Amino acid sequence: MTRVTLKEVSKKFGKVVAVDKASIEVDHGEFFTLLGPSGCGKTTTLRIIAGFEIPDEGRVIFDEEDVTFKKPYERGCAMVFQNYALWPHMTVYDNVAYGLKIRKVPKEEIKKRVKEVLDLVGLTGLENRYPLQLSGGQQQRVALARALVIEPKVLLLDEPLSNLDAKLRLRMREEIRKIQRDLNITTIYVTHDQEEAMSISDRVAIMRRGRIVQVGRPSEIYMNPRNLFVATFIGRSTALRGSIEYIQGRRVKMRVNEKLTITGKLAEDYELSVGDKAIAIMHPEDFTLKVEGESNIIEGVVELTMFLGPFTQLRINVGDQNMIAYIDPEYEVKTGTRIRLAIKEEDVIIFPLIGWEEFEVETIT
Amino acid sequence: MIKRSELLKNLKVQMFYLDPVLVTQLAFPTLMLTLFLIAPIATVLLVSLNYNPADIFTDPTYVNFNPRGSPITIRLITFRGREFILIKISGVSLGIIMNSLVNSFIVTICASILGIVVAFVMARYSFPGRTILRVLAMTPLLVTPFINAFVIRKIFDWRDGIISWIIGDVLHLPYRIGIEDLAGVAITQIMTFFPIIYLNVYSSMINIDPSMEEQAENLGAKGLKLFRTVTLPLSLPGLAAGAAIVFIFSLEDVAAPIVFNEKRFMSYHILERFLEATTGQLSPVAATLSLILLILALAAFIGIKKYVTLKQYAMLSRGGRWSPRIRRLRLKGLIVVYLFILPLLLFAAFPQIGVFIYALAENWADPLPYGFTLEHMAKIVEDPLVFRAIVNSLTYSILAIILIVAIGVSSSYVIARARIPATDLLDILVTSPIALPGLVIAVGYFYFFTSIFRGTPLDPITFGPALLLSLAYSVRRLPFTARAVYAGLQQVHIALEEASLNLGASRLKTLVSIVIPLIGINILSGALISFVYCMSETSVGITLGGLKGVGEEHQAPISFIMMDYLERVGGPHIVASLGVLLISIQLLVIVLVNVVFKQKYAYIGV
Repeated sequence: MTRVTLKEVSKKFGKVVAVDKASIEVDHGEFFTLLGPSGCGKTTTLRIIAGFEIPDEGRVIFDEEDVTFKKPYERGCAMVFQNYALWPHMTVYDNVAYGLKIRKVPKEEIKKRVKEVLDLVGLTGLENRYPLQLSGGQQQRVALARALVIEPKVLLLDEPLSNLDAKLRLRMREEIRKIQRDLNITTIYVTHDQEEAMSISDRVAIMRRGRIVQVGRPSEIYMNPRNLFVATFIGRSTALRGSIEYIQGRRVKMRVNEKLTITGKLAEDYELSVGDKAIAIMHPEDFTLKVEGESNIIEGVVELTMFLGPFTQLRINVGDQNMIAYIDPEYEVKTGTRIRLAIKEEDVIIFPLIGWEEFEVETIT
Repeated sequence: MIKRSELLKNLKVQMFYLDPVLVTQLAFPTLMLTLFLIAPIATVLLVSLNYNPADIFTDPTYVNFNPRGSPITIRLITFRGREFILIKISGVSLGIIMNSLVNSFIVTICASILGIVVAFVMARYSFPGRTILRVLAMTPLLVTPFINAFVIRKIFDWRDGIISWIIGDVLHLPYRIGIEDLAGVAITQIMTFFPIIYLNVYSSMINIDPSMEEQAENLGAKGLKLFRTVTLPLSLPGLAAGAAIVFIFSLEDVAAPIVFNEKRFMSYHILERFLEATTGQLSPVAATLSLILLILALAAFIGIKKYVTLKQYAMLSRGGRWSPRIRRLRLKGLIVVYLFILPLLLFAAFPQIGVFIYALAENWADPLPYGFTLEHMAKIVEDPLVFRAIVNSLTYSILAIILIVAIGVSSSYVIARARIPATDLLDILVTSPIALPGLVIAVGYFYFFTSIFRGTPLDPITFGPALLLSLAYSVRRLPFTARAVYAGLQQVHIALEEASLNLGASRLKTLVSIVIPLIGINILSGALISFVYCMSETSVGITLGGLKGVGEEHQAPISFIMMDYLERVGGPHIVASLGVLLISIQLLVIVLVNVVFKQKYAYIGV
């Protein structure tokens, strides 16, 4: 069990800043995820922890020990690669036993430990197969077994599920989580899939353009996104733009157009004054057809309906803007009809629009 | 000013990526190539500085703008009791330097035209006998020093040549046709080198995204217009690469000038100076001419760099359907192929076939060979001088291969993996011998090792050329292995190595247990190809190789003995037998590499 600390770590590739003053602390036995869109620096951060890259600035610390300049083979952490990196010229057994052979573990013990770990990942009986004779899911388990068998200080997983089909991905996700719990290994996981990150992690760090923008438990981040990026990146969200009309403490009222105003809570760490441009972020699943408590009422014309299974997605025109809402699929709506939806004030978060490039906001529907 | 702490930190970062194994892998090839490539070539430069270039450029022996001789002479002769009109094509001389240059241009242009036509037919049409034609087109690539040129001379000789015999004795026409001197050299080189263009252009054409041509057709281009506006421009990278190689090969070719006894070429001139050099003195003219060869070769190489780096553009999109456009040939096309292309390819492949005839015929002094014998083949084992040359070549080649594998694997690994500056430079250094004329290397070795290393085992005058030949082979044939290994490394995802490092294996352990097993087949294939070309190496072999003469204990390789035996009585048959031996080794390796190992390499190309 090891605690991993990154202190103000930065890394540039030429002129591109891959990681920008990233600081994180991962606790003993914690499942910690680096989440962000592609190119945000999450894999580089993981590779810095593994020792494949060394940071231009900052320190990497395992427990009390500074490992910033240690070679990968001196760090005792094990990584599961995105493409598994199984050696095609070795059998499953040899792949898994490799790390133990390097550590000069006695032969008998290697046999025992390889068997145990293959049991753990459910691959018993496939010892003599070569990687190319295995399915994607099985290859993934071998990669995991190969990392686990050396009882690493830290387990590093770089988008390990991205090459699997949707169903298998869900199952492996649960299995990885269960094994991590049972073995209680400090684990750092990299993914761009926010749902995966939310479901598997103790804590999540959200990265954007090399920076860590928010760290917290999944529910915390979902409820209280610290900025517009997190708000729109986590979960499905929809937005309406307008200007501030009224402020009462953290409760603000924003005018969207002549007919529509929305009241919500002002995002943490931000201030607004009357007249400022703002944007209201809402989750589509928070809309209801019944009005309850302190709710906003939004009226609009249904432009498009899409049946998605658990709910029906509506695109609603509220005058000059469109928004998305999910409603109970039993309720039938036709395109072109007017609809009235309610959303609680506490489910609306209002951010200032300043400092966010317009085009980024445009991508939110 | 950069702060000291900043500098120290940068150093620390660099040192992190440079572990002892990588440093060794970087230092060893660099040291070897500095000592056995850069230093000798630099010496050529230094020696030629002693010679005033104006002397050479004003001497009509070297540069002469008043052509000597007439390109074609036609006269009436009486030959073996009959009257004939003799048409002799011999070319005009513009002085040694100009001759080399003009010849190489003509050869490159003619070979390009032939190569493009054949490549286009092969790449775009299917017809009965296509496979046979493809094999025929590649046949001239089998390296048989001297003897293939000897067969070509036999075809074009006006006295006992095959063509004149057909015209004069079979058809009983009053003509005899001969191609000799400068023209003989040119036609020999065109026939020998056009497959290089064919192969490079063919692979370019095969790699053109079919949708590119379909789009052009869709917009109304067809036939020659389509070829001129889309197909040919997209094949330019292959053409450029092939043409540069042909240009360089033609410049440094010694075999054709020797066989046609045409001394008015730079390559032959350098060789002649070498044949006098057994005394330990090499005329500085050799250095000056080498320098000119080097500059021309480098100019060709740099000239194509633009096209070769653009290689990707021939294969813009790899998505979707990818089968090259191959069509059935209609009647008109079939007639062209069978009446023009087939005879042409048969003709071009004939020298290699002729090598077998020479080796197995009792005699071939007359236009037609007669008798069958294995005596000549047996001679290569029975004749102690010849057998010794085979043993020598084998020894040098094996020694060279050991070095080539060590240098090739190390340098390719550094180039493919190390994140340090200057890997580009190493890359250029490792692949450059493809474009460096062997004669330049030979001249450089002579000057460098007879002066600075005088009296050491590296001195070819005191100790003989054995060691130097092995080293020269290892430098000249390095690119084949280095490129094969590099190609292999590109197939090995770096994560496979990182996974090993991550599990605690050192860099050396990772190299031995992960990298080398994964690229083993590439190393072996590359080494085999390098080996084949070591065995048939000519320009260094016939220059440095003869420095100890041809005595009982001689150190000359196969190519030198081939040159030496060519003028002996019955010699050509033995030379041809050696040619058969070399062809056999080459075919064996081609089958091994392509069929058994399933590797695909362009044997000659940039």
